Amino acid sequence: MIDAFTNLLRLVGSFFPPDLSAAYLRALLVPIAQTIGMAAAGMLIAFVLGVPLAVAIATRAPGHRLIVAVLSALRAIPDLTLAILAVVVVGLGPAAGIVALALFYSAMVGRVYGDLFAAADAAPLEALRATGASRIAIAVYGLIPLTLPDLLTFGTYAFECAMRASIIVGAVGGGGIGTELAGTLSTLDFHRTLTLLIVLVALVAAVDAFGMLARRDPRLVLLLLPLGLISLWLYRPQIFAFAHAVHTFATMFPPHLRASQIASLPLLIAQTLAIAVGGTVIGALLAFPASLVAARRIVPFAVAVAVRRVFDVARAIPELVFGLILIVTVGIGPLAGALALGLHSAGVLGKLYAESLENVPAAPIDALAATGARRLPIVAFGFLPLALGPLVVHTLFRLEWNVRAATVVGLIGAGGIGQALYQAQQLFFYQQMLAYVLVTWGLVALSDWFGERLRLRLGWNFVAA
Amino acid sequence: MIEISGVRVVYGPGAPPALDDVTLRIAAGECVALVGPSGSGKTTLLRSLNGTVAIAGGSIHVDGVEVAKLRGRALRRLRARLAMIAQQHDLVDRLTVVQNVMAGALGRWSTPHALRFLIAPTAAELAEASAALTAVGIPEKLRNRTNELSGGQRQRVAIARALVQHPTAILADEPIASLDPALGEQIVRLLCDLARERNLALLCSLHQIEVARRHFDRVVELVGGRVA
Repeated sequence: MIDAFTNLLRLVGSFFPPDLSAAYLRALLVPIAQTIGMAAAGMLIAFVLGVPLAVAIATRAPGHRLIVAVLSALRAIPDLTLAILAVVVVGLGPAAGIVALALFYSAMVGRVYGDLFAAADAAPLEALRATGASRIAIAVYGLIPLTLPDLLTFGTYAFECAMRASIIVGAVGGGGIGTELAGTLSTLDFHRTLTLLIVLVALVAAVDAFGMLARRDPRLVLLLLPLGLISLWLYRPQIFAFAHAVHTFATMFPPHLRASQIASLPLLIAQTLAIAVGGTVIGALLAFPASLVAARRIVPFAVAVAVRRVFDVARAIPELVFGLILIVTVGIGPLAGALALGLHSAGVLGKLYAESLENVPAAPIDALAATGARRLPIVAFGFLPLALGPLVVHTLFRLEWNVRAATVVGLIGAGGIGQALYQAQQLFFYQQMLAYVLVTWGLVALSDWFGERLRLRLGWNFVAA
Repeated sequence: MIEISGVRVVYGPGAPPALDDVTLRIAAGECVALVGPSGSGKTTLLRSLNGTVAIAGGSIHVDGVEVAKLRGRALRRLRARLAMIAQQHDLVDRLTVVQNVMAGALGRWSTPHALRFLIAPTAAELAEASAALTAVGIPEKLRNRTNELSGGQRQRVAIARALVQHPTAILADEPIASLDPALGEQIVRLLCDLARERNLALLCSLHQIEVARRHFDRVVELVGGRVA
């Protein structure tokens, strides 16, 4: 026990101090620019493709059902899996990252904006339709202005996710900070790993801050346009041989697995699910007690703010990055995968739990305080039962997300279906690779469907996106 | 026994006083109604009695103890003796009726005791909850979930919770504002009967002056933060 603890301390110590030499920081400028550029270019394409699709869905254009089905299917392929496919088709580098992000977020923007448009106030839209306006006119004069605040809120949220995803796709050869990070870990250069983690947390914090500004002044979103266009030009595929790409893609068909591989599928799926469930449980167990001291109505303001900063750091570091570090430190396998998911989930759940606890109605809490109750009994008799619904829903949502993330951490040796997929790609067994992509897709789609049913059944389906 | 003398409350610099030179004595077993238009200071007066609102002048004594001087544990002890009843929205829906009623005992229970009760209540604790629910006329609701109750039943549960506090006084802030008139009058009668029976001081704010005159020993009117 004490040995394990000193080992842990030694391990954490080996990351300090971070390498902050001027030469290294200067060398990081290019990967940082690549990461931001990939996110901006990917999101630019996502908006250009996703908004018209959303309008088509909301105005029930011919084929809108097919669009919804395709977007839902696309959304069920984890971003990193898309990145691997993209690397196969357009080669290593930021271009692959941009393609993967553009595909994933087009589907996300299309679906979510479609839902937001569909929920827009019907009366003004009826009036527009009565004038004989075209679909584009209805979108420009009706749908978009009517739902602008929600579009912006979700848009900046998606951009934050894209920035984190942009780091992830780097780790499989998409370039940027992710590639750099994977490099420092494989050479055991932990001082530089810490530098990169600091950069990463700062980047996510900067995007958070930008999101807050953009909600106040929507015109800031227009900055995305030049940034995205420049990145698109800089990171366009250097050798884009269309025939080669088509040929590579064609070699994936038909998807095929050997009999022994089919026999091991249940084990791989079970491993992936175990990583997802384990990660969610670890995350919830860490987040729950911490969220009690992060809720401003339960503890003094300064304490709550300090704990929230810890959540922010855990949220900023993607599962895959935690995974890369844990694999170097605790070794390869599903445990590292579950811990990686757990640490990131703790940050996400901690913040959501704390907000749910803060949002409970005031009257019952005041009544309990008026009986002269101590703080912990007020939590047990008031805050917890009142916030139970949201706490459960947030945890279920995280479990759904973690099924996706479990396939992603598989890629770096945590096991499960993701590891099989990555190995097939590395060995150029493209038919196997496609088979594993399809299994992943089915698994994620099934877990999404199941989660939605469960939430509807509980009557707690009120959390957006 | 509650003694309020010359109390003044100001919510912010430059704001007009919410309470100005209010003096009032309520003896044990006495039922006093507090009437007056919205914003006249009724809620502020009730909340200053248990130290939720700080007073800027004057003094409040409960059973001879000055409220403004109490902090921490002593303040919690005071609150345990002053039962508060608000409009019907102050119960915790997801808890059972028993758990809501016994929340009244939180002021005298230790934290481990409170947590143990949620998991494994003792027979004595259940008997106390049952007795309190019998006193307010709904013994059959012991096992119900709180969100299954009607408005009048919720208010009775809140009163049962107040009784479990073993209070020396009950402070009720418009307890019947969201009930229909006949039901409201039943609840007021119940409160007054219980206060007299158990020798508790009752201070209850109301909008219905007629109801106040019919059931209370004394009616005090507040206007603009002053006793009219």
